[in-house]
Amino acid sequence: MSIASDILRGHTDGIILARLCKKDSYGYEINKSIQKITGNTYELKEATLYTAFRRLEEAGYIVSYWGNELTGARRRYYSITDSGREMLRSLRAEWEESKRSIDKLMDESFDTDN
Amino acid sequence: MTEKLRFFIEDLFKDAPKTKRAIELKEEIYQNLTDKYNDLISEGKTPEAAYNISVASVGDISTLIEDLEREANMSGESTENTEAKKRSALLVSVAVMFYIISVVPVIIFGELGYGLIGVVMMFLLIAAATGLIIYNAMTKPVYKKKDETITEEFKEWQREKDSRRAVKGAIESVLWCLIVTAYFIISFSSGRWDITWIIFLIGASINGIIDAIFALTKK
Repeated sequence: MSIASDILRGHTDGIILARLCKKDSYGYEINKSIQKITGNTYELKEATLYTAFRRLEEAGYIVSYWGNELTGARRRYYSITDSGREMLRSLRAEWEESKRSIDKLMDESFDTDN
Repeated sequence: MTEKLRFFIEDLFKDAPKTKRAIELKEEIYQNLTDKYNDLISEGKTPEAAYNISVASVGDISTLIEDLEREANMSGESTENTEAKKRSALLVSVAVMFYIISVVPVIIFGELGYGLIGVVMMFLLIAAATGLIIYNAMTKPVYKKKDETITEEFKEWQREKDSRRAVKGAIESVLWCLIVTAYFIISFSSGRWDITWIIFLIGASINGIIDAIFALTKK
């Protein structure tokens, strides 16, 4: 559980970019979808989420704008850019790579001696 | 209970700089917290439980606040700025050195009997020194606007005013050096000391014209 949430935290950028691929969204909605996808097991801390937003925005992977809700308070929406989509592709490739390596490393039948 | 969330958020951001970005971030987190709180209430949680869960989900925002602070301070003390300060200090020091040694040729050539050459060299040194000061004033880095708060705008306005004044002062000091030089050269070579003082009147009127130009081009 704690290892899983560490891994999750290490991939905040990729997770956020993937959530934004389908549609523009705001912080709470993104966090709710993470909870839903993982079957209420994980959620990101606000601090982690917003640090990631700032980092991604500075790097130009996402842009933000204030939405104009008709009711209630205004929300800041985030939208993925083309370079953000590209970044997501490379993050995904990187993850596949490390997943393969870890699978092999954790496999007791894997033997390097021969 | 949302009042309580408001207090919590205000307390969380009490050390954050009062910049636009910080206030926006605060509003954003507050909005998300109330969304979460309302969802928890509709799930059937008690207000206390919903508040506690919401507050616990924020986590440690100290690094975020530090980032905001660094961003707010960057406008004043960037590395780029310290480099420029060093260069500026060097230019001013060299200029002052020129001013001080400008009397040396007068003394040496005076002893040798070539007083005029000494005076001319003195004024050349003064002109060079003043030129350095003008160059320094004109190439000083302009204040970079980081955030559109009132204080920042005021600082920028003040900086603009100061740099204009510095440029004007430098131009006028060069003007007067040149006038004095011209006065001595013309007087020594022509020997008409009775009339050459008129150069100072011409100088005063040029000075007045410069004042007028600066006053008219003021934004």
